[in-house]
Amino acid sequence: MEAAPSPGWLIARQSARFVLRERTVALLSLMFVVLVLVSAWLGWSATSTVNRIYLDAAAFLQAAGQPVPTNPVLDISPLSLMRNMSVYVALIGALSAIVIGNRLIGLDRKAGVLPLIGIRPLGRNSYAAGKIAALTGLILALGAVAGVVAVATFLMLPVITLTGTQWAQLAGFMAVTTLYMGIFGLIGLAAGTWAKSETVGLLLPVTLWLTLTFILPQLTANLNPTAAINPISALATPPDTSFFHGAAVVLGPVSLADAYKFASAALLDYLPQGIASPSFIPPVINLVLATGLAGAIAWRALTRLSMTQGEYNV
Amino acid sequence: MPEPMIRLNRLTQSFDGVTAVDALSMDIAEGEIFGFLGHNGAGKTTTIQMLTTLARPASGTATVAGHDICSEPLEVRRRIGYVPENVRLYDTLTAAENLIFFARLSGVADPKRRVAEVLDLLECTYLADKRVGGFSKGMRQRVGLAQAILHQPAVLFLDEPTSGLDPMGIKMLRDLVMRLNTEFGMTIFMNTHLISEIAKTCTSIAVLSHGKLVYHDRIEAVTARYGDDAALEELYLSLTPVGRLAEVA
Repeated sequence: MEAAPSPGWLIARQSARFVLRERTVALLSLMFVVLVLVSAWLGWSATSTVNRIYLDAAAFLQAAGQPVPTNPVLDISPLSLMRNMSVYVALIGALSAIVIGNRLIGLDRKAGVLPLIGIRPLGRNSYAAGKIAALTGLILALGAVAGVVAVATFLMLPVITLTGTQWAQLAGFMAVTTLYMGIFGLIGLAAGTWAKSETVGLLLPVTLWLTLTFILPQLTANLNPTAAINPISALATPPDTSFFHGAAVVLGPVSLADAYKFASAALLDYLPQGIASPSFIPPVINLVLATGLAGAIAWRALTRLSMTQGEYNV
Repeated sequence: MPEPMIRLNRLTQSFDGVTAVDALSMDIAEGEIFGFLGHNGAGKTTTIQMLTTLARPASGTATVAGHDICSEPLEVRRRIGYVPENVRLYDTLTAAENLIFFARLSGVADPKRRVAEVLDLLECTYLADKRVGGFSKGMRQRVGLAQAILHQPAVLFLDEPTSGLDPMGIKMLRDLVMRLNTEFGMTIFMNTHLISEIAKTCTSIAVLSHGKLVYHDRIEAVTARYGDDAALEELYLSLTPVGRLAEVA
């Protein structure tokens, strides 16, 4: 005899399993993992190369009896070698999260099984909780993969030794990264639940993602769209004009890509001196509030989903 | 007098100001096979959606197996099974995988064993490991019936169960429904268009026209009064006049 798990847990487990079987989700998740590996390799490769050149130069200088300068690798925070990861998370991580969130509800709606689920002895709240739990689990898994890659990279670089504080900062960066992906996952879930057609359910969050990643940073931080995918040039002081001051106040709290970049830069020690987030809300707080808001919207959409008319219009 | 298995008390539903089900009141006793007749758009499916707690009524109420559909929806759901007109399942899963999922959601203690039992009962064990995506309408209908009886419900709701089935499929489904009623004591609530099926299967019938109940009686009374299937058809047509049907069309 099997012990009866709660209906919400059943929905969560089954939904996560179904979504993982989907080719699009598998491909995007794989791409995310590959890009995380690439970002770690780029940081590792750059640091190793500089270190090797320094060691050769130091040996030469020592043999020549000349003074040996300090290792440039040790002049910057070792955490900053992970800065490329923040860009890949903002791009492919957020997009993967949207697709995961969308498919979590889309699989039930497209299959047309909502009436058969709706007549089972589980409340709408259990159904909503199950879907959100499945999303949380999958996003945490993506975040965990990125975390393992980051930790492995630092352990493979003998010249770098992280202090306890730096390990904590790295953990903070992974938490913020997971939170950021979670926001987009919840937006994907909410849109997939609310939209009448499958296409709109996917296009809506993708449009929002494009706006947050490439358009709002232009208005709040005077950032060119192409610069948005560069972790260094993304962090510059916007012009001291009334437009940018106003835009920072109005759009700063919703400019989530900016908030994520500033939070990442602060945690990974690559935020240039004198530059601060244009928003009046601290970046991490901003991301927490956005997660809460996206979660509330997803919850409302899920608990109000009609079990009789839940199918997508074709 | 025992409490009826299903009691509708001025059950009403409306969409965008249009009344789909209009103050429907009737009782259905335990162990009945109840046939619910009506033209397209009469409100039969809407009634089933309310009784299965899939939709909340605009006003009025109903009890199913002694539980109120509005205040005790979970208790109602524990006691009912439902086969929609078009059975939709997860196409990428096998029949058994679909059924195990629904059995778990229904709180069945040993889902795998119960699924095997039900598939055996419905004589479709051969479908267990096949993906549902490739199933014919008849096969889907069988798996649909299987998911509805996994938890041995007291009441089984069938929405146009024979729609789209060939004569062999119709007969097979009719036999299964009769078996579930006689062997397991399930009360059956069946929406249908087929008057011949009503006469062969049902113990009582009701006719719905434009959301209003226009006839409700036991089948013996109907046949005694109106005679054979042809007379029953006459009765149905007289209750849902052509003029009214034209309005719907």
